[in-house]
Amino acid sequence: MATLSDIKRRITSIQSTQKITSAMKMVSAAKLRRAQEAIEAARPYAQRMRETLEEVGSAEASHPLFEQRDEIKRVGILVITSDRGLAGAYNGQVLKAAESLMAKKRGEGSEVSLTVVGKKAVDYFKGDRGRSVKSARPVGPNVNYLEAKQVASSLIEDFESGELDQVIIVHNEFVSMIAQPVKLVSLLPFVPPSDDGAEAEADQAPYEVEPDASRLLTVLVPKAVEVEVFRALLENQAGEHAARMTAMENATKNTEELIENLTLEYNRARQAAITSELVEIITGAQALE
Amino acid sequence: MSLDLIVVTPQGEVFAEAVEQVVLPGAEGDFGVLENHEKFLTALKPGPVEIRLPGGTIEWAAISDGFAQVTANQVVVLVDECFKAHEIDLEHAQHTHAEAESELAELMNQLNSEDTRAEVESTLVRASVMIETHSRHHS
Repeated sequence: MATLSDIKRRITSIQSTQKITSAMKMVSAAKLRRAQEAIEAARPYAQRMRETLEEVGSAEASHPLFEQRDEIKRVGILVITSDRGLAGAYNGQVLKAAESLMAKKRGEGSEVSLTVVGKKAVDYFKGDRGRSVKSARPVGPNVNYLEAKQVASSLIEDFESGELDQVIIVHNEFVSMIAQPVKLVSLLPFVPPSDDGAEAEADQAPYEVEPDASRLLTVLVPKAVEVEVFRALLENQAGEHAARMTAMENATKNTEELIENLTLEYNRARQAAITSELVEIITGAQALE
Repeated sequence: MSLDLIVVTPQGEVFAEAVEQVVLPGAEGDFGVLENHEKFLTALKPGPVEIRLPGGTIEWAAISDGFAQVTANQVVVLVDECFKAHEIDLEHAQHTHAEAESELAELMNQLNSEDTRAEVESTLVRASVMIETHSRHHS
């Protein structure tokens, strides 16, 4: 049986673990709020970008990035995870989804080329699994647009040169505190937003476009792709903090339970010690009579 | 009726105010917009933006490349980055400018460096736009 001091030591150690997990939960809560604000802030830009694209797309609908290729020889997969762990199944589920997508695409006879963002995925695809990694980078503490731009432009370049025939993003989407499902988004070929509102605005005068629509599209479409990558990075950021917050909350709850059980055990052991001591004294006294 | 200028970046809305006139660096040359402008859609190149506020005060801002959507009473500017003149850290911009310039000079001697070159070039352009905006603001 564990001695009193052993149990005491275990309780102290679990209490300090509890301090860490609850502090981490607090930190994640603050970071989550900021990440959610960043998502909110990016929304108007994406919205207006889509509107502009509809406007121009209705006049001119061809662009190299729209091109659907008949034969998919090489598939680019953009895998996004967090830099840090301790977030439950958060990164594991993305990596699993990426693996199964790779297997599926290989089964269909396509080669796979990976672009990896986030240290967890970078580590995972190191070594043998990493044969098909084309580029890898960490997410960094704060997502910024220039990074999304760099990732997007290298993918766009590969698509335009024929190096890739299709690009898919695998990432976690931030739905709520408890739900961050894996999402597969087809990035390229880019599907222009459908012009649903066109009939309603049909009586309005069209925009005069300068330079011409097709040249405007060559600037617009890559930007729309960048926005999509940026959005995925932001979702990943918010999802990471939400997942960590939930994981740390559970961990804190578990430590509470452990401490409760250990305290009970400690008190029992203490009581047993007292009882046995009493028995000794009484038997000693009885022997003297 | 007045003209509303709305500047949106992926980081959020930077500017949303009624203005008298705005001069934007269009891909085909600078152009000014007053209210009741024709509906108009154009690409923008990195450059300084001149904003004339009601009352005649002039404000300057530096933008990167993007688009402008002009309607009769609204100008929507979609850009990657936008800094108002008073937000610009001139020293930092000059430092970035000098750094990008020397990096570019180095890259010019190398082959197979198109990727990095484009990146450095864009940094250089952005920095010089900020410096120009700053100087216009203070002249």
